[in-house]
Amino acid sequence: MSYDDYLAGEPVVVTAALTGGVHGKEANPNLPETPEEIGRAAAACEAAGAAVVHLHARRESGERSFDRERFQAITDEVRSRTNLVVQHSTGGTGASVEARRRALRTDPPPEMASLDMGPLNRYHHLTSENTRGTVDSLYDEMVDRGIKPELEAFNDGHINEIRGLLERRDLDDPVYATLIFGGGTTSPPSPRNLLNAVENLPEGAAFNTLGFGRHQLPLTTMAILLGGHVRVGLEDNVYYGDGDLAESNAQLVARTAELAETLGRPVATPDEAREILGL
Amino acid sequence: MTDQCPHLDYRPLADAGDDADARAYCTAAEEFVQAMRADVCNDRYDLDHETDCEIYRDHEGLPAIPGADGE
Repeated sequence: MSYDDYLAGEPVVVTAALTGGVHGKEANPNLPETPEEIGRAAAACEAAGAAVVHLHARRESGERSFDRERFQAITDEVRSRTNLVVQHSTGGTGASVEARRRALRTDPPPEMASLDMGPLNRYHHLTSENTRGTVDSLYDEMVDRGIKPELEAFNDGHINEIRGLLERRDLDDPVYATLIFGGGTTSPPSPRNLLNAVENLPEGAAFNTLGFGRHQLPLTTMAILLGGHVRVGLEDNVYYGDGDLAESNAQLVARTAELAETLGRPVATPDEAREILGL
Repeated sequence: MTDQCPHLDYRPLADAGDDADARAYCTAAEEFVQAMRADVCNDRYDLDHETDCEIYRDHEGLPAIPGADGE
């Protein structure tokens, strides 16, 4: 993927990260948490231009859940209301690999699932370890269930880890990597770092970009110009403008869709996204 | 090890609606905590507030680096 893809007006796949598992309604009361709220938010995002929905599961209190039944309830809500590509998270600081793989075991399985490519520090004493053994184990179950991995590169070192995974496993084309920018362990957010990350990707890889907080808008816009795909939503950014909480996930998706169209790249429909991503 | 942080409380969010479930509130920090941090407060999964929460450790006067005092 490159600037040539931008010039050719290739469709951009917009992923909506609706809920996450880190912050909840305490950060933005408009963030959907229950299966019904997530289903309604997904439908609004599809109408606004999203093609993929990235999902985490939560308890009634908004706290993280790794229960298969909870993922099932969410995915049922989303599938009953939309044609979106369903992507489940397998991330989970402090959770066992066995707990994290339950997100892969819904019926039907998700079409995609996230695969964290390496460690990520949290708070002051925690690390989401994501050893190579964990990565391989989750990847193998994804293959068994026909799930395409979304390779999450929290920083440039994780691009090395993607190359390592390609040496250990035979991934289907296109390899799909998400480049992540923000604070802490993630890549320092800057245009130059996005350019470098794109250049460092394995040959032929497709890329998605997410930026946390105020970096969501500029770096996803830049990714559109670089021929990439983008992820927006309240999981990554609870604000619409400076200090103004976003009204909804759909509000963030609509802005990105409008930007993409203005820049000459139409947003992909869910079925177009399936073709682009090789689902 | 205890099963739950003594500073954990559940309180309603002011703007989450009357039917919303109560949310994790840290009485040491005097604020609502993130959903994921509540897993530390509750000692869920492989998490333990006594070793994993810097707020608890600071409040209890424990060293910043778990194990630094030989515990």
